[in-house]
Amino acid sequence: MSHSHDHADLGPSNTRADAAIARIGGRLLPAAVVLLAAAAWLAWKGGNANQTAKLYLVSFTFILAISLGGLFFTMIQFLTRAGWSVAVRRPAEALASNLRWLWIPFMLPLLWLWWKGGQHHEPGTHALGLDVLWPWANLEHMQQHEPAEYENVLKKAGWLNPNFFVLRAAIYFAVWAVLATVFFKGSTAQDSAGGTATTERLQKLSGPSIILFGLTVTFAAFDWMMSLTPTWFSTMFGVYFFTVCCTAGFSAMALVTIRLQSLGALKGIVTREHLQDLGKYIFAFGIVFWAYIGFSQYMLIWYGNIPEETTWFMARQMGDWTVFSWLLIAGHFVVPFVFMISRWMKRWNVTLALSAAWMLFMSAVDLYWLIVPVIPAGLVDATTYAELAEKHKDAPVGFFTLATLCSIGGMLCLFAWRTARTLSRNHLVPVRDPRLGESIAFQNI
Amino acid sequence: MTTFATPSSTTAPASTETSVAQTWGLVARFANPAELMHAAEAVRKSGYRYWDCHSPFPIHGIDHAMGISRTILPVVVFGAGAAGCTAGFLLQSFTNSFDFSIWALVWVTGYPFLISGKPLLSFPAFVPVMFELTILLSALTAAFGMLAFNQLPELYHPLLKHPGFGRATDDRFFISIEARDPQFLRSKTGEFLKSLGASSVEVVES
Repeated sequence: MSHSHDHADLGPSNTRADAAIARIGGRLLPAAVVLLAAAAWLAWKGGNANQTAKLYLVSFTFILAISLGGLFFTMIQFLTRAGWSVAVRRPAEALASNLRWLWIPFMLPLLWLWWKGGQHHEPGTHALGLDVLWPWANLEHMQQHEPAEYENVLKKAGWLNPNFFVLRAAIYFAVWAVLATVFFKGSTAQDSAGGTATTERLQKLSGPSIILFGLTVTFAAFDWMMSLTPTWFSTMFGVYFFTVCCTAGFSAMALVTIRLQSLGALKGIVTREHLQDLGKYIFAFGIVFWAYIGFSQYMLIWYGNIPEETTWFMARQMGDWTVFSWLLIAGHFVVPFVFMISRWMKRWNVTLALSAAWMLFMSAVDLYWLIVPVIPAGLVDATTYAELAEKHKDAPVGFFTLATLCSIGGMLCLFAWRTARTLSRNHLVPVRDPRLGESIAFQNI
Repeated sequence: MTTFATPSSTTAPASTETSVAQTWGLVARFANPAELMHAAEAVRKSGYRYWDCHSPFPIHGIDHAMGISRTILPVVVFGAGAAGCTAGFLLQSFTNSFDFSIWALVWVTGYPFLISGKPLLSFPAFVPVMFELTILLSALTAAFGMLAFNQLPELYHPLLKHPGFGRATDDRFFISIEARDPQFLRSKTGEFLKSLGASSVEVVES
């Protein structure tokens, strides 16, 4: 019975902020260039190709996760024919629309590595190839240095081989680009055309789309992150990466929405009720669901206690990584759970922005934890955990070095610049969506 | 048992009633939710304390119009959840990891039991039960706490014998003001409700 929708201003002064957003975007591009250049220089000085590649993978999957989270949010709203979310759907669509260009910073290096690795090189010499990240890409090397692992990985060669790997990556990006285009273009076209046809079409498409989304996200996580340790496997891993997408995507959505309001837009359109629901999404998916999935994956492996499964967690429970793992649990679950559980923390834009920024940061930490730790090659001959831990004690682990921060920050700025560009050219809310009135009047009971 | 007050007799209702039954209060009927909201705001502003709205469906914003403060149920549920979580840990660690005795009506002794070479105090193994007990106690507290705070189940209420009141579950909207309210005066309150646009104001006896 709220009468706010009678007064909500849907004119351009409230639903567009082209100039203000473009100004922000103009500052983000130089920041991205400087940070990425600094990261590249630091990585070049560090001189470790594997570390550099991993750092790049962390930074890239971070912005990929944000986009996929936005895409998932958009699709689930159409799938459930949700009314409440129309007022906050455009930021999600804008985040997802980045999937139209995200193939460039991934496919180009990948194709280059694939081409370099496929080149003929003299026996004994070592050329740069996909094995800079993924050991299975160089079976000869595995055979010589890790014969036990080689036996296992050889059986997976039908799936884990460079040609099929690159082809699959191309398929994932094609699917994501098409989905993002369909939902973003459909929604923005409705801004001028109006009517219910677009809404009905996107509702129909959302079912098959979400199946494609589930499959591509799962297999991309298997390919790009799980196969970093090619002998290891977890059927939960795809879902785990999905929770990362949710954490990063929903947090970014809340931040974008609050920033747009601070620019003076969306007054009376996005209310505390919407902020509370965005907070619920972060709380439910990013905090509780993440912990649920993470623990489910951990407990089965811990209980089974089979070496080929536990090795992955072993790498994260040795030396300083133990501390890192505990901090991840505290920072991604315990602390934000208590902080965000009250409705008031989600309804006040200051506490919601604080929580969202923190959770966005934690999803980068989470990806770092997923991708970087590895049991150093020289230590794999240890026969007991105690021996391994003892040998590993002094092994260097650079957490969140300057290069890491520059790389993640630079990619985030690049991503934010493109998102700002999208938002500066479109309405900030689906102004002619048939459910907009319902959304503006929405109230939590 | 119930006196029907016609609009003209509201000023001196039920004066000829000889029943010993006491007046429970007044019930006013409204045609739609908007009128009910409007009237509820006016009743709140005039300072009544023992009154209520009756509607066939939940109305957004009615609690604000009535000035109802938020329930403390979430805090109680959080406490119950925390208690369940703690109880789950204490129960399992005591029974599986220690061998001291405690007196709980009878003497109970912990039974350290080595399972697949895991440490006796294996926290990960305890988590599912801690989680389930958190959910169990939260859910039970939410359900029964809601009933308790609403003073339910209430098997009898004077309004229920009022013949017209059945439509509160169908297509009419009511405000009832109880006679125990310090401001309640049968004639004055009746006139007040009438002035808010009620299509009828009737006396309910207890």
